[in-house]
Amino acid sequence: MGGSAGQKANASSAFSASALCKVYRTGETEVHALRGVDLQIPAGEILVLLGPSGSGKSTLLNIIGGLDRPTSGTLHYRDLALSDLDDAELTRFRRQHIGFIFQFYNLIPSLTAEENVRLVTDIAENPMDPGEALALVGLEPRRDHYPAQLSGGEQQRVAVARAIAKQPDVLLCDEPTGALDSATGIHVLETLEQANRQLGTTVVIITHNAGIAAMAHRVLHFRDGQIASIETNATPISPSRISW
Amino acid sequence: MKALDLKLFRDLWHLRGQAFAIALVLAAATATFVMSLGVHRSLTETRDAYYARNQFADIFATMTRAPRGITARVSQIPGVRQAEGTLQQYSTLDFPGRVVPVRALINSVDEARGNRLNQLTLREGRLPRLGYPEEAVVDEAFAKANNLKIGDQIEALIYGQQQALRIVGTGLAPDFIYALAPGDILPDDRRFGVFWMGQKAIEAATDRTEAINSLSIVLEREASRADVIRAVDAILEPYGGTGAYGREDQLSHAFIENELMQLSAMTRVIPPIFLLVAVFLVYIVLGRMIRTERTQIGLLKAFGYSDWSIGGHYLKFALAVALLATFMGAMAGIWMGSEMTEIYARYYRFPFLRYHVAPFVIIAAGGLSFAAAAVGALGGVQFAIKLNPAVAMSPPPPPVYRAGIVERLGKSAGFSAIGHMIVRHIARWPMRSAITVFGVALSGGLLFATTQFIDSSRTMLDSYFFRAQRQDLTVVFTEPRNSDAIHALAQLPGVMRVEPTRGVAVKLSYGNRSERTAIESTRPDSVLSLRIDNDGREVRMPIGGLMLSRQLADKLQVPAGGKVYVELLGGRRTQRDFAVTGIVDEFIGERAYASEATLGSLVGDASPAGAALVRIDSAHRETILRELKEMPVILGVTEKNASFEKFQQMIDDNMLTMISFYIGFASAIAVGVVYNCARIIYSERAHELATLRVLGYYRSEVGMIMLGEIALLVVIAVPFSCLIGYGMAHLMTSMFSSDLFRLPFAPSRASYGWSIVIVLLATAATALTVARRVQRLDMVRVLKARD
Repeated sequence: MGGSAGQKANASSAFSASALCKVYRTGETEVHALRGVDLQIPAGEILVLLGPSGSGKSTLLNIIGGLDRPTSGTLHYRDLALSDLDDAELTRFRRQHIGFIFQFYNLIPSLTAEENVRLVTDIAENPMDPGEALALVGLEPRRDHYPAQLSGGEQQRVAVARAIAKQPDVLLCDEPTGALDSATGIHVLETLEQANRQLGTTVVIITHNAGIAAMAHRVLHFRDGQIASIETNATPISPSRISW
Repeated sequence: MKALDLKLFRDLWHLRGQAFAIALVLAAATATFVMSLGVHRSLTETRDAYYARNQFADIFATMTRAPRGITARVSQIPGVRQAEGTLQQYSTLDFPGRVVPVRALINSVDEARGNRLNQLTLREGRLPRLGYPEEAVVDEAFAKANNLKIGDQIEALIYGQQQALRIVGTGLAPDFIYALAPGDILPDDRRFGVFWMGQKAIEAATDRTEAINSLSIVLEREASRADVIRAVDAILEPYGGTGAYGREDQLSHAFIENELMQLSAMTRVIPPIFLLVAVFLVYIVLGRMIRTERTQIGLLKAFGYSDWSIGGHYLKFALAVALLATFMGAMAGIWMGSEMTEIYARYYRFPFLRYHVAPFVIIAAGGLSFAAAAVGALGGVQFAIKLNPAVAMSPPPPPVYRAGIVERLGKSAGFSAIGHMIVRHIARWPMRSAITVFGVALSGGLLFATTQFIDSSRTMLDSYFFRAQRQDLTVVFTEPRNSDAIHALAQLPGVMRVEPTRGVAVKLSYGNRSERTAIESTRPDSVLSLRIDNDGREVRMPIGGLMLSRQLADKLQVPAGGKVYVELLGGRRTQRDFAVTGIVDEFIGERAYASEATLGSLVGDASPAGAALVRIDSAHRETILRELKEMPVILGVTEKNASFEKFQQMIDDNMLTMISFYIGFASAIAVGVVYNCARIIYSERAHELATLRVLGYYRSEVGMIMLGEIALLVVIAVPFSCLIGYGMAHLMTSMFSSDLFRLPFAPSRASYGWSIVIVLLATAATALTVARRVQRLDMVRVLKARD
């Protein structure tokens, strides 16, 4: 990475946002998705975002993931001012630092499990071997299967393998277990927790499932585009002990 | 308006780019159809009306000289409705200050009532009057080209006598719609004109009182042409008749027929190509549209819409595209037709030639567009009709991808994940991929087949003008001369070589086939006149026997070694068998060749020359032409370079106009096919492309996936396009060949190159336009939706 996006390690804080606002205009109506969010996310933290639909969680996740830009306010990833980056620089930021996991997996149907992972390792700076990433989620034996040949849980595990294979600094997960049964959901969460523990990956999880909050270091409650409250969890539990 | 029709309009608007691209291809079919059929009909109708109004004859005959009274005898032949005798005489004109030789064919016209057959249409002025032998009418094109006005005087050398002619009118006649000087292959209005003088005036000038040398006959409707020709030949035999012939052998008529034949060949070859491509395009676009609207179709059926109203809804979409295409194509076709007609008007002398399109032509063109659209829609409509509503409303099964053979090869070749995406998507939609390849290949093929016409004409010209004819001038004598005339020419300063030649009119028969043609003679040691076959090699003239051009041999179906029966036409009607000792593949004309001695033995005189081939030092051109003008034994002089330039000019304005139309059309196919393919790829892959963007792929990289797929298809199409082009060019050159000339198949590498370059440019520009849509991918929205 070079130039404007040069990074300096800042162990204390991965993201720092101040007065983040996001306004969507649809026709004549304005929707204020974020109304002045101030937030620090320390590196290596597991952060869970809770809140009703439309409260601004996904908007915040998209902005810190570099998929979208704030209307006003500033956002830094370490020393990098994300709010000032152009499209190509945001793409480079995503490529180098961010792993995404979505509710609907978003796998490429024409690629096998392994090839879906390779899609990311092909462009990452310091990736794992795709097979190793699949082994981490327990899908090594199904590496040559296409998405249509995998169950929903397996597909999500491929998506997780794809996200962690590049050894990202940050994993952003939007309802990662929303479409899964509890056993598969817990398996996915264990993988995320493992990445956090072994690699120091910062993990941000959006969920409607309040039980998941128990594995987080901190829990943010969202309401009407603002942070309503922050809970700090001194003793996060292992995902296997989460009550679903 | 019904809600379903409202949906139709919205769909059309939503898919306007794709609908327009299909309409473009269909419009190309309509335009070619309207243009070629329209021009064909305009030419045919104009010609037929002109023929009918001016009493164009059915049978023609020439003879050395016959008493005028012979006409009455010919009129008595059963089946003859009317016969008329005239005099025709070639003459050399003297334009002061011009060294370029100018020739005229003077026809007699009855001073009192004009001619009854092949009637002269006066454009200006009046007919020559009895008692004013200097009065003449000149053909309109010649007058225009030489800036002649009524009242102008021209010095003419007629039958060895210098005579001043005064122009009293301009006009044209149906037997000279296409007016060629003897030996020429293109009209040259500046150097050759048709004149009409009073009958008595020509009789006096040519010393042929109460005589004729040309006869025209109109037949009764039910008459047997062959019987009449036989009877006419019998009557004219003692008068040096050269054999009567029908319209198909009348020079002007034959050229028009040739043009009409080419136009109808074009109507048969080109529009079907576009229609076929359009059928495929409608098939893939409508098929895709119906697949994406699967849920809506289920919903509509659940609401109680009948299968047929839903099928009809999608059919209407295709027909709306056809309607747009018909409109665009008709407009373009009418415009192109009027351009083409203007070109025709330059070469064909009609009293009026207006391009008008009969409503029937547009209706037929529209009908074809609608039929093509309907056929293309059939598969999709059938699917929509058969779709079970309950099944339709549940999401479609996920697409099944498999690793095919290409894939396994690719794997070992180390394809990237992106490479796999491209190859598998192509394999997932084999029909659509094949259609894209086929469309691009057709586009390139069509381009090649049309651009190679230029190569073909150039090869033909090069062979005819430079390899076969090595002379600079062809000097035609008023009557056959002996070697003294040749020596006289050789004495002129600047003349480097002179060779005698002669052409004798004959009828050749083999089995029950016969053809009227000419036998040309040259010396065995000739360096100015060579027989060149289509490989560009010289074919030596055999000492004995005849050499036939391939065209003539094919018509007579005579093999090399066969014996043909030769009848000398005109004068003594000698008849003899000759062996065909050689066949030469020539491009222009159909002729027979013999050595000087062989022809001499047939004609029965030692070595008279009808003409001389002359090579000159170009520095002396003007003096030589001036000297030749002064020689009374010379009927005319043809300059090879002038003929060649005329031909070049014809290629430039006629062929280039046509070819630029086709470049446009062929590009329309490429654009139509690639645009639709790219749009469909884009819409099918928007979700995947957005996912890749989220994963950190740059826009350019994501764009490459789309472009890569199209590029791969286009690359696959290139060799096919060469193959298709090769086949089409063969087909078209053979369809466009006629009795008058055969187009060689002689494509240059540049033609292959250009057609590929144009296709690549058209496809690249189109694909890039679509790839720019990658800019608009909304990552956030796409990821919220289930794929």
